Amino acid sequence: MPRRRGNDARRPAAFVPGARRRQQTVATEIGLLVHTLRELAAIKNTAEDAAGCILAHAEELLASADAGEAARGQEALLSIMTACGFHDLVGQRVTKIAATLDGVIAARVARTPRKTKAVTPRLSRRASALEGPGFPGASLDQDSIDAILAKA
Amino acid sequence: MSVEETMAVDLGMRVLVVDDYKTMIRIIRNLLKQLGFVNVDEASDGSAALNMMRSKDYGLVISDWNMEPMTGYELLREVRADDTLSRTPFIMVTAESKTDNVIAAKKAGVNNYIVKPFNAATLKSKIEAIFGEQSR
Repeated sequence: MPRRRGNDARRPAAFVPGARRRQQTVATEIGLLVHTLRELAAIKNTAEDAAGCILAHAEELLASADAGEAARGQEALLSIMTACGFHDLVGQRVTKIAATLDGVIAARVARTPRKTKAVTPRLSRRASALEGPGFPGASLDQDSIDAILAKA
Repeated sequence: MSVEETMAVDLGMRVLVVDDYKTMIRIIRNLLKQLGFVNVDEASDGSAALNMMRSKDYGLVISDWNMEPMTGYELLREVRADDTLSRTPFIMVTAESKTDNVIAAKKAGVNNYIVKPFNAATLKSKIEAIFGEQSR
């Protein structure tokens, strides 16, 4: 008869509920992260809709105003239009956050006791080498970029 | 606001705007219209832009950097390496504001570099700078 070592006999019973609990916790976390990804996608879509709506009205105003009015309002309308670029910047930041969450999900899945289908991170290696929008004060402004370009 | 008032530029030339965000293309298209440019085409990434450039003549390319499958930087390099296209003026309009990226774009032959968010005056001044340089 094989010799029992230590408390091996009790281990499976103690391990299984612990493993199951860990698995449930990980599944809950993954569910929350997936939900967050959906929310981020919704933010991106909302920003796109809002920018599109503002742009459409600005275009309409610019087209319908007579020459005098258009000249007076042109600068303000063009500022409104360029401000709609927030959608691009918001979209890029959301994409970065989504890629980070994808990575967290993939790491969580890899750590689960039972093998689950891994989630592939969304960003390609090339795209992840790019930084996207920087933080105020931590990235170059237009004047600094102009100075770099002006150097021979 | 037309650039015709400030410089001798052919407002009938074709301008290609490359960006994967429709909103940004629409913004740049509107700004170009206000500047007086009437022939504006669009592409959603570098490879689509390159195909268009090989089938039509463009007097100016305004491109984002971060796009898939071909980035604006890769497009710039392809354009500069192509004998037929190499002299096409190229403006990068991007959120990428790291010094290394600006230097890389400069080395690759970008004519000007605009960091997002930008305003109408910045786009106008960069176009004027390019065509001003060319006309000298």
